[in-house]
Amino acid sequence: MQVACIVAFFGAWQIGSSSGYLDPLIVPSLSAIAVAFAALLHGGALWSDAGVTLYELAIAFALAAGAALSAGFVISRSALAVRVFDPLLAGLYAVPTILLFPSYLLFFGIGPPSKIALGATMAFFPIVLATIAGFAHVAPLRLRAARSMGASELQLFWYVLLPEAFPIVLAGLRMGLVLGFLAILGGETLTSNAGLGHQIVTAAESLDPPKMFAYIVVAVGLAVALNAVTSYVEQRARNTTA
Amino acid sequence: MSRDAGVLRLGVIALFVLIWEVAARRFGNPLFVAPPSETLVAAFGLLHDPDVLRALLAAFRELVIAFVIAVAAGLIIAVPLGLSSFWRGALFPLVLILYAIPQVTVLPLFVRIFGLGPPTKIAFGVTHGVFAVILAVVAGIRNIDPILLRAATSLGASRRQLILNVVLPSLIPSLFTGMRIAMSGVLLGVLLAELYISTTGIGFFSQTFTNAFAPAKLFALILILATIAITLNELMRVAERRFNLWREG
Amino acid sequence: MGGISVRGVTQAFGASDDARRVTALEDATLEIPAGELMCLIGPSGCGKSSLLDIIAGLAKPVAGSVTIDGEPVRAPLPKRVSFVFQENALFPWLTVEENVLAALAFQGVPKAERRARAGEAIAAVGLDAFRTYHPRQLSGGMKQRAQLARAFSLQTEILLMDEPFAALDEQTRLLLGEDLSVLLARTHKTIVFVTHSLVEAVFLADRVAVFTARPGRVKTVLTVDEPHPRTQAFMTSAKLAGLRNELYELLYDEVRKTMETGAVA
Repeated sequence: MQVACIVAFFGAWQIGSSSGYLDPLIVPSLSAIAVAFAALLHGGALWSDAGVTLYELAIAFALAAGAALSAGFVISRSALAVRVFDPLLAGLYAVPTILLFPSYLLFFGIGPPSKIALGATMAFFPIVLATIAGFAHVAPLRLRAARSMGASELQLFWYVLLPEAFPIVLAGLRMGLVLGFLAILGGETLTSNAGLGHQIVTAAESLDPPKMFAYIVVAVGLAVALNAVTSYVEQRARNTTA
Repeated sequence: MSRDAGVLRLGVIALFVLIWEVAARRFGNPLFVAPPSETLVAAFGLLHDPDVLRALLAAFRELVIAFVIAVAAGLIIAVPLGLSSFWRGALFPLVLILYAIPQVTVLPLFVRIFGLGPPTKIAFGVTHGVFAVILAVVAGIRNIDPILLRAATSLGASRRQLILNVVLPSLIPSLFTGMRIAMSGVLLGVLLAELYISTTGIGFFSQTFTNAFAPAKLFALILILATIAITLNELMRVAERRFNLWREG
Repeated sequence: MGGISVRGVTQAFGASDDARRVTALEDATLEIPAGELMCLIGPSGCGKSSLLDIIAGLAKPVAGSVTIDGEPVRAPLPKRVSFVFQENALFPWLTVEENVLAALAFQGVPKAERRARAGEAIAAVGLDAFRTYHPRQLSGGMKQRAQLARAFSLQTEILLMDEPFAALDEQTRLLLGEDLSVLLARTHKTIVFVTHSLVEAVFLADRVAVFTARPGRVKTVLTVDEPHPRTQAFMTSAKLAGLRNELYELLYDEVRKTMETGAVA
């Protein structure tokens, strides 16, 4: 039944296009999109733009993860620090990060760096919050038990803190990656000179909707792939440490 | 102890502002950064600028309309979906697929369909918020305490009475959670659309300030918008908490 | 009015070809004359709650029938049967008074009468001072009293109670049992009361139906010959102790059987 609904959706779309009900300048037919998509795959432009987007993501994520993991861990060591910073960070998280984008544009210009900055900012928060949550709220009972057995700080970290915190931190990293990707796409859509988002806008403005949709398909595909890969990693990690 | 934390937090914020002030004045290129003092002054100026005010008000109006539509549409779609496991199973994957599309990629499409004015911003806000409402309400319906339904049935409630008097009231906590998340979604959607359409509204001003290398004004605009965002978020959290009051524990 | 007749009721869960099919009740037969307080007691999983659901019209048996005054039960009969649940079945977003009013609305009582009936019922269970409270502000015992008030306000001939005091501590249970006995002496309802507590069963019931381990059928019916309202004196009497012991012996083998086969509800 689920399959039937999806098939019905796409079927209706195709019928709408071929019957002329859907304005081809706005919603192109599925076949046109397929053609454009194939053209993208064969041309070189797709890879360079997708590459730009992924490159921005990689750097943004690395920066965010590095900063967030270290900051989060340090904060988690002190209950007072947690009480001070956790609400602060959670509050900042609530502000739409996209608001900072204009200032990044001003500072970094319209090239990749402004997107990297945006992605990094966006990814930072879920990672740092998850790190704090993971390390600060480790079952105190288990810590006490390990301490009473004479575990050293290093052993405590390795045998209790890390395994307990790991799934939570991993979930945070995953969120950071996905949100970072979305932020970068957003930044590229708003103002940029390269990348998938940029191509979508260009295709839209040059009245080439099939190409635009084809790029959207690529973006969706990437998002799904990212999600799938990170889910898989999370699942594997959960199985080995559970 | 929590008072100490609060005080320390203020201290941290103050420290941050101080560093910003000093760094911006000493090392900052005035074309790219502005210290908080100038930002505040600029903010004051912006709030008295009728054009800026008009843009802000327009954005706010779009936000409210989009939010209302998102909640209403979400409820209308979610209640039947939640009550019927058949349709839920059938349509849910479709909903999830739609949910998975990075919405920002369809922004140019929205502009083509709805044009450069408020309708695009409202529509984009709605699409960002409606999913949160749908997911929260469907989850809420599925989590209704079955004992309440049994009790009402044993008391002789008709199907209509069941929905009106048991299902809908039970939903309210979940609805408010969904509304809180929807609010941030709608905010994001409207903001994105506003920034994208740089011919009018907030997008116009952010573009102008950027091109004119006027960081104080730009930061000020961001500050004002951020304050609005935080306030709305807080409002929704308070509302959510209040309507969760009847939950035990 | 309000005599219940249970004839050959069988209840099972799961498809008929499923190996995991559980037969909760098998060929249960019981007569409950009008005005009697009948307790159902038995090991876990013996189908007592299932039987109550069937009498209430909330479930259909696989075989057999339940009739009330000769009429078969096919659906909930809110005007004749009210139900008090073990879990908290009060609507958490309404106050005590509003909960009772809602029940009256469901039953179809005209608006003008509702307030008066609600007030009476709430006063009868001693919750008058708490009528504007929400369930989460009430203790366990008070919540159950509120449920009782809700059931009472409906003024039905038959009252079904499924371990209503199970979640309460023992002292509260016993005192509430006393209060219930007082209330019942005034109303002549037919009451079917499911419990696990031996003392509670003997203290409250006119007759106690002892169920076997799963699949449950009626093993024996014990008679408690003591007028209502039951008093504190009865609670501490040798008569009650003797009946309790008799009940214990009747149940012992069934409970043992249940524990050994692992057949728990």
